[in-house]
Amino acid sequence: MKPLTCEEASRQLFALLDRALAGEALDALEGHLEACLDCCEKLEFNRKLDGFVKERLSDSALPEALEHRIRRLTSR
Amino acid sequence: MGQALQSARNDDEKRGDFAEATLPHLGALYRFAAKLTGNAATAEDLVQETYLKALQAFPSLRDPGRAKAWLFQILSRLVVDRHRSEVREVPTADEDLDRFSLYDLIWEEDPLPYSDRLHDDFLAQFRDEEVRAALMALPEVYRVPLVLLYAEGMTYKELAEVLECPMGTVMSRLHRGRKTLERELWECARRRGLVKTWKRR
Repeated sequence: MKPLTCEEASRQLFALLDRALAGEALDALEGHLEACLDCCEKLEFNRKLDGFVKERLSDSALPEALEHRIRRLTSR
Repeated sequence: MGQALQSARNDDEKRGDFAEATLPHLGALYRFAAKLTGNAATAEDLVQETYLKALQAFPSLRDPGRAKAWLFQILSRLVVDRHRSEVREVPTADEDLDRFSLYDLIWEEDPLPYSDRLHDDFLAQFRDEEVRAALMALPEVYRVPLVLLYAEGMTYKELAEVLECPMGTVMSRLHRGRKTLERELWECARRRGLVKTWKRR
């Protein structure tokens, strides 16, 4: 298996975070990360940035008026 | 008369089945719409429109177990199609964007020379509303999959089903969505004077 360059690896870091890699692609990226501190740090930053944005997507309660309208629509 | 009664009964049954399949997902759908639009009134309108469309199309839903993905699919399509017809086209290839790296820029510009946790401290400077504004600035075609991923934790396979596109397209939209978000954050930092120079990469 041909080793990945940093550029190739960095294109797949998001897919790794999203658990969307498997098989040879996953092996190749993990192999690269074992040897490349810079890409490891980039991966860690991407993970933090994801969490940072997620935390700011606050949950909103379902407005009662909307629930009432939808229930009326489904029972008319 | 008998036919009219039968028809009314069928309609009642249809609405009953529709309610049973879709109402358990109303809260999740609203939360998604609110995160996606950043606006409670817009989110309410979107959810209502989604339910109206879903009610009309309900006979085409063969498996009620798919109702949640189906509702998210209708709402996502509404958002993407509406904005596609207004202003934003599907963005074309942008090599600068694909290569953009907030991580690298922070290293190069070193906006906090005394920090020993440079990247963490850089992010800590953003106000919550600035992060949300950066997300809202993304074209819908990128924002929809990113919010589905962040808020609903969907897998690429689930995203492909909701967005009605191949998994490779999901991967590329998530990649470019995140890169656009990084660029928006960097531009926000530059506007606020948190960084002194701007190098487009």
